[in-house]
Amino acid sequence: MSGTLLKRLSFAVVLLLLAGCVGLGWRSAVAPIDPPVAGSFAPPMVALGAQLAAAGNCAGCHTTAGAPAWGGGLGLETGFGLVYSTNISPDPETGIGNWSEAAFARAMHEGVARDGSHLLPAFPYTHFTKLTDQDVEALYAFLMSRPAVSAPEHKNTIRFPFNVRALQAGWKLLYFDGGVYQPVAAKGEQWNRGAYLAEGLTHCAACHTPRNRFGAEEKNAAYAGAPFEGWSAPPLNGTNPAPMPWTQKDTFDYLRNGQSESHGAAAGPMALVVHSGLAMLPDADVQALAVYFADTNASAARAPAAAAALLVANSRRLVDAGRETEPGANLYLSACASCHYSPAATPSSVQGGLALSTSITSDDPGNFIQTVMQGVGGAGLPGPYMPGFAAALTDRDIVLLASYLRSTRSDQPPWANLPAAIAARRPPTTPAP
Amino acid sequence: MLEMAPAAAGPTRRGFLITATSAGFSMAFVLAEPVLAAGSSQAADAAAPFEPTIWYDMDHDGVVTVNIIRAEMGQHVGTALARIVAEELEVDWASVRLRYVDTDPKWGTMVTGGSWSVWQSFAYLSQAGAAGRIALIEEGAKLLHVGIAGCAARNGAVSSGDKSIRYGEIVRRGQLARSYSADALKAMPIKAADDRRVIGMPVLAVDIPGKTTGAARYGLDAQVPGMAYARPKLPPTRNGCKVTAVDDSAALGIPGYLKSLVLDDPSGTVPGWVVVCADSFVAASRAADLVKVTWSSGPAAMVSEADIQAQGLKLITAVAGGSMVVDDAGVDAAFSAAKSTLERDYTTATVLHFQLEPLNALALQKDGRWEIHTGNQWQSLILPTLAKALGVTEAQVVMRTYLIGGGFGRRLNGDYAVPAALAAKALGRPVKLVWTRADDARFDSPRSPSVQRLRMAFGDGGQVTGMQHHASAGWPTQVMVPAFMPKGKNGEPYDPFAISGADHWYTVGAQRVRAVSNSLANSTFRPGWLRSVGPGWTNWALESFMDEAARAAGVDPLAFRLRLLGGNGKNGVEGAVRQAQVLQRAADKAGWGSTMPADTGLGLATTFGQERDMPTWCACVARVHVNRSSGVIKLEKLTVVVDAGTIVHPDGALAQVEGASLWGVSMALHEGTEFVNGQVRYTNLNTYTPLRMRDVPSLDIEFIASTLPPTGLGEPATTVVGPAIGNAIFAAVGARLRHLPMRPADVLAALKKA
Amino acid sequence: MTTPITTIFQLNGQTLKLTASPDTPLLWAIRDVAKLTGTKFGCGIGLCGACTVHLGRRAVRSCITPLSAVAGAQVTTIEGLSVNGQHPLQKAWVQTQAPQCGYCQSGQIMQAAALIRRFPNPTDDDIDSVMNGNLCRCMAYVRIRQAIKIAAAEVQGVASHA
Repeated sequence: MSGTLLKRLSFAVVLLLLAGCVGLGWRSAVAPIDPPVAGSFAPPMVALGAQLAAAGNCAGCHTTAGAPAWGGGLGLETGFGLVYSTNISPDPETGIGNWSEAAFARAMHEGVARDGSHLLPAFPYTHFTKLTDQDVEALYAFLMSRPAVSAPEHKNTIRFPFNVRALQAGWKLLYFDGGVYQPVAAKGEQWNRGAYLAEGLTHCAACHTPRNRFGAEEKNAAYAGAPFEGWSAPPLNGTNPAPMPWTQKDTFDYLRNGQSESHGAAAGPMALVVHSGLAMLPDADVQALAVYFADTNASAARAPAAAAALLVANSRRLVDAGRETEPGANLYLSACASCHYSPAATPSSVQGGLALSTSITSDDPGNFIQTVMQGVGGAGLPGPYMPGFAAALTDRDIVLLASYLRSTRSDQPPWANLPAAIAARRPPTTPAP
Repeated sequence: MLEMAPAAAGPTRRGFLITATSAGFSMAFVLAEPVLAAGSSQAADAAAPFEPTIWYDMDHDGVVTVNIIRAEMGQHVGTALARIVAEELEVDWASVRLRYVDTDPKWGTMVTGGSWSVWQSFAYLSQAGAAGRIALIEEGAKLLHVGIAGCAARNGAVSSGDKSIRYGEIVRRGQLARSYSADALKAMPIKAADDRRVIGMPVLAVDIPGKTTGAARYGLDAQVPGMAYARPKLPPTRNGCKVTAVDDSAALGIPGYLKSLVLDDPSGTVPGWVVVCADSFVAASRAADLVKVTWSSGPAAMVSEADIQAQGLKLITAVAGGSMVVDDAGVDAAFSAAKSTLERDYTTATVLHFQLEPLNALALQKDGRWEIHTGNQWQSLILPTLAKALGVTEAQVVMRTYLIGGGFGRRLNGDYAVPAALAAKALGRPVKLVWTRADDARFDSPRSPSVQRLRMAFGDGGQVTGMQHHASAGWPTQVMVPAFMPKGKNGEPYDPFAISGADHWYTVGAQRVRAVSNSLANSTFRPGWLRSVGPGWTNWALESFMDEAARAAGVDPLAFRLRLLGGNGKNGVEGAVRQAQVLQRAADKAGWGSTMPADTGLGLATTFGQERDMPTWCACVARVHVNRSSGVIKLEKLTVVVDAGTIVHPDGALAQVEGASLWGVSMALHEGTEFVNGQVRYTNLNTYTPLRMRDVPSLDIEFIASTLPPTGLGEPATTVVGPAIGNAIFAAVGARLRHLPMRPADVLAALKKA
Repeated sequence: MTTPITTIFQLNGQTLKLTASPDTPLLWAIRDVAKLTGTKFGCGIGLCGACTVHLGRRAVRSCITPLSAVAGAQVTTIEGLSVNGQHPLQKAWVQTQAPQCGYCQSGQIMQAAALIRRFPNPTDDDIDSVMNGNLCRCMAYVRIRQAIKIAAAEVQGVASHA
């Protein structure tokens, strides 16, 4: 028997014992109901639910592109196998049409399905537990008034023993801290609103906090950053590597408009979060998130160094002079500089100033590689547009470009293993004519 | 003398003459019968335009349309040639139009290259203009009822005293029936330089406005309804490949894909080619990537740049072989008796044309003829090949003319028209064949890599008593137009475009110039004529070597050269004097001899441009700063002085020298690739890096004022820049580079040796 | 290539609706479908600039911009830069006689238009960096630079009198 499997089984046994002790391996079912009639929910509740569903990015998992909304079926690679999102349209056979509000609330607050089985933490109930009853009620009103979609469940491919639902009870004992959000008295109203949204609804930590080997967020490493679908969700705590601090203003600009002058544009998965998700929240809520995260990343403490960082970035504006014959410099100057050259007075990261770019200062080259390959924006998204260069540049070109920009735009040590990092992210496309 | 006899004479025959002089080669175009008699048909139809020669016509509004047979590719040749006509014709410039003609036997040879256009055309266009003017004056006088003696033509009108009549009215009402024999045209009085009012005056180029609005149409823009698009699927090497299997199953899923054609080419131009057809270019291009073709290939598929250069070195080292282009008596004696000798080898890497408009051609059948729509620089060369490929007579093929998005000599080799024609024939519908950039680079006709060895013999008092220049490269003319090769002193043919420049104007005692064809280059790829051709690389060796010789002799490089430009013996006085003049002027302007900051140096070079029979005297001083630790070469300034005789279109001339100088910089510092397994290694801008905006140095360009006959300008300035830079690097930090392109790593290596 | 979809966007103020694979480069839609041939094909990998158009107010390389990126957007080509070829840049290009073969110049002018919008008083450093992506194989760079400065001054002059 292999070492890994042995470890897994041992842990599983522990969980089982725990679960057995507490008798929580299986919960009772909630009685099914007939699907609610259309129009049985108050429009303001439905509207609030729509806003919350957008901000919570429910569709990000529960709608597959090209398929009817809320039908589920999106496969998520969890590290334990593929988990397919469920159909949360009000279809009685294949969706949640038979779920009462109580069943729905239990799923959101406790991670338990109507039939009493434990939900896998790929569904971030660890965050939704914090939602108020009213917000849960609004979400229920919204989802249950969507068109019913018939889309049968896809089978997960979670590896043994993690596919044993009963073991989730043990996992919850260890890693689940249930209960509605409790405001922190010492912090202000805005901060608490931001905290409620972030921790409860928008579940930022689900991407931005690293997970332990059992897939639970590391409580001692909150917002320390984590890889995600070939990108890396940067740290949102004090270890954020951006040259400039994420002030409240910067954070608001980014979350509201998809770009921060001194940091960059929301790209890849974050572009959808901003433009399809948070876009539906009112300014006050986005401002609250900004307050919360400006505090989380200790931007105030970094403020004194900001001016110096800006000066350093500005000094790099003309760093390419004399280096034109280097292959990496040639690529940058031919392919990138026309947009990314930044003006003297105000090095701007959005359309320039790669010296302020978080992706270049990150330890992980993933975001830089993905941005070069896939570009930013377009297709009706507001904000800047950058074409993707996946078909235009070879792996070797991107290695040269990445190395050159890393060495000239940051003080960080060279990225290791660039060829492998690039090859792993290259999409299967045909070259451009 | 080598002469090609004209075929049977007829009223619209053209012929050309190639002469090999004792020290070089020249081409001249002679008009056998350059005029259409404006006879009775003129009188019968008053609306017919006035057409005293085939070079222009004038309508009854006085609008003159000049027929341009040259390719418009950035040199504004149409404007320049029309100015020549306008000068003599005394027409108002505002009523001049240009017509870029399609192929027709009446035009004679259609070729645009060698910087020849103005030089070749000046005389006959002037004569044509004068002929029209004289006819208009005669007829105008009749209509005004005055004597001819008191008449003058000016600004599109004939006047006498206070009477005048506009050209248009003369065409409408008059009976212009003058015809001119060839002899009469040749004897036509041309204005003295002092009387010129048009030539040499500023003018806006006619082709430019359309190039700022997107209206200008290039070959790539040609389209006809119902055409299929296509992209070539290129074999591994130019020569020696055969298709053994085609599997297009993976392409069947591309919407719009039609089929893949294995070309059957009776002309042998495109062996092993497959053309992938679709109803859009994107579909054709993507399908071509998915179509699997298996070829059998020949030995070329294993040849590397090092192999080619090794072969070149072997050829020039061998005593026998090659053509003696110059072979004075006493060369070997001079070297045996020499007090000291100097010998150096120089090399250049493969470089690409990389004209920005990728190769393309649209082929279709219309009204019983094949039409090829494309930009081309040598229609006369490719027409017979097209006819052979299509199995028709030349009369059944016409090439429709378009602006060229970059020629530089690539479009002298019209091979790209052939696969388009063959595909259209096979498909049975018009085919627009477009190369991607990588396709274009792979099957460029690149400038061959070269190996050169120069030797100098010194006698008493440091006198130069002998000089040898041995050069080997692929020979484009041998591969594509072998009949054009003159014979050397030893009866062996040579490619003048692969040695010109070595036959310099310096007085060096007994001189030998030997050109050896690199057969491995010729068989591996199709070598091409690339802007400045032979002189672009022979002068790299020659002018670097003159510097090394000067320093070996302990003489200032400027003084050393001036001493040898005394014009003794066979090197005509006039030529040497004009070359010395530009050299001295450039040196003076650049501050030759003044103290330079650390690691900064001046280097100079001088050439006669493209050919001894059409010398354009050039000199360049380069100012360079070298970073000793990184090897980075910063070219700060170029001072370029040019004597091209009469300048027809001054601003156009300046633009050509700006562009040609920067080409010289690009070839010297920024461009170079290599053959790997018979293929060009760098095929796009991620790896092949021509000069860009930020690489441009300060440029100071001056023309020597002259009324002597005009010589070429499209290329000559390219020839002086590389060696000037190389010499400046040596002056700056004592590092001698002998290979183009010059890269920082080469500087560092040379510094170590120094 | 993927399944064709219908993309609708504005091209020089006209609505263009075309059905093609969403990864079709915008360049070929402009040239072969809309038949506007002023935008040129030079390298296909976004490194020569001959294909430069405006997406909104930004200069982009249309050879690597897929149709999917321009859905609902405003695209402007050289033909749409001005009604009669009298944009200050176009006039300056004629005044300095900048174009030689001219093939790159549509892209140069479109990029320059974005340049002077962002940098109304462009310095040589600004021009070096923002225009460097536009290759001119004839190497007419000296006059392109002159023309940019002339046009920028004209635009400034008009602006200061407005």
